Amino acid sequence: MRKRIREALYIGLFDSLPLLRDPAILLLLSMFSLLPVLFTFVFTGGGSMTQQALVGAIVLSLAFTGLFSAQSVYFNKHWFRFQDMLVASPVSPASYAFGLSVSTFIVSVPSLVIALLLLVAARPVQLLDVGLAMVVSLALWISMLFTGFAIGASTKNVRRANSLPQVLSFFLGFIPPVYYPLSQLPPEIQPFALLAPTTHAAQLAKHYFGLVSLGVNDIVIGWTYMLAFSALMAYVALKRAHWVDP
Amino acid sequence: MEAVHAENLGKTYPGGTEALRDVSFDVGKGEVFCLLGRNGAGKTTLLRILATQLRPSAGHASVLGFDVVDEPKRIRERIAVVPQEARPQMLLSAWDHIYTFCLIRGMSRGDARSRTKQIMDELGLWEHKDKVTADLSGGLRQRVIIGMALTVDPEAVFLDEPSIGLDPLGRRSVWAMIRRLTKAGVTVLLTTHYMDEAEVLADRLMIIDKGRVAYAGSAEDAKNATGAKMRVIVEAVAPGDANGREVLTPASNEEIIGIVERSLREGRKVTFKPPSLEDAFIQLVGGSIEEEDS
Repeated sequence: MRKRIREALYIGLFDSLPLLRDPAILLLLSMFSLLPVLFTFVFTGGGSMTQQALVGAIVLSLAFTGLFSAQSVYFNKHWFRFQDMLVASPVSPASYAFGLSVSTFIVSVPSLVIALLLLVAARPVQLLDVGLAMVVSLALWISMLFTGFAIGASTKNVRRANSLPQVLSFFLGFIPPVYYPLSQLPPEIQPFALLAPTTHAAQLAKHYFGLVSLGVNDIVIGWTYMLAFSALMAYVALKRAHWVDP
Repeated sequence: MEAVHAENLGKTYPGGTEALRDVSFDVGKGEVFCLLGRNGAGKTTLLRILATQLRPSAGHASVLGFDVVDEPKRIRERIAVVPQEARPQMLLSAWDHIYTFCLIRGMSRGDARSRTKQIMDELGLWEHKDKVTADLSGGLRQRVIIGMALTVDPEAVFLDEPSIGLDPLGRRSVWAMIRRLTKAGVTVLLTTHYMDEAEVLADRLMIIDKGRVAYAGSAEDAKNATGAKMRVIVEAVAPGDANGREVLTPASNEEIIGIVERSLREGRKVTFKPPSLEDAFIQLVGGSIEEEDS
């Protein structure tokens, strides 16, 4: 077990090393999830809207990088061929998948820390709130990781491997009410917004930070939806991703 | 016991493409076995099955005595693989690649450092250790990939076109590395498009055509099997002559004399060379090329 964790961590390190070697790029990538916070702050002058945007950034920092695991999966398999080298070695497929996941986590840490610090500076938050919001973010990250793995393992096209995560991050991150309140949308649109797992994650995190109030039913529905989405993506990823090619 | 044993091996991809059919062969321990064939002939498919990266759809194969389907873990502990067209990460150094792969393979940091240095010295990479691979030549990048594969001491090495795109010096350093491995008793299976490489390195070779074995044996026997006594190259003395260059493989003395007489009449230069492996290769798979063309 210890050996497997060790090899997973080194695979994660290897995958994230290009960014760790160039911290400026790492920081710049982190800003991707924080940009909407800046715009919200500029146009609303701070307050609750900006705090909701900060929660959105916390939730999406991990989710975006999870989705971008598609690129790691694709490029390690079809471009660098490192996956083939690792398949023909004692490295386990679980270590490999866990390693690539760790890599996405490392990349998301700067934006996650910045967003959390800004939120703590903007309003008093309890440690428990932070913990619960982090659990929500991690759950969304896992579902996005599975989505990324499913995309990376399915596509044989370098353009799609690059563009699909970006298109999805736009439709799952910027369009649904993640950075802005759900209540901003017209009531007839709100059910459609709730089709996105990111909306549920944002609603739950905002609830735990005390920015919106959700009933028990909404909380249960939110968690159920996220877990079901994760399970579905895990199923697709497991079906599509092969360690030994068929 | 053979290092590699394949029996009626076949592979049909899920899309229905048949890549290998009834391939049987053995490779002895410490032998260099070369797989030759046109693009898409099935060489990489065969190598990937033996390296446990791809499931066969028919037949059996074993590497170092272990079945590729039932005992892949036992094989993976003992082999090293250089995949076709593998590329290093452009933003990382040669050291980053080999050192991190040593760590992934379970070495302590100290062992990983000394092993990395040893590999880089052997492959002539030490002076480039801190350069990002984007700044290295194609040959040096290929050596980085080979270095990553050789982080552990393998009993068998699978090299899929390891010298593709390398300059003559780069190729020779790969050849030297292969010779070092075989001296240490390592079995080497490699695919290549370079006939000279196969002639220089291979103890035995196998030519695959359309997924089937077209020839298996030594390079010398392959050349003898052409039936040609020699290769006659007829070319213009003056450059730019429209008559062009012909490479002929006459089968009898009369035919040779006829070619010489004709060339003298036409004032063209005649050169005699022994039949090459390329001649044998073209004779063995040329029929199928003509079939496709017609």
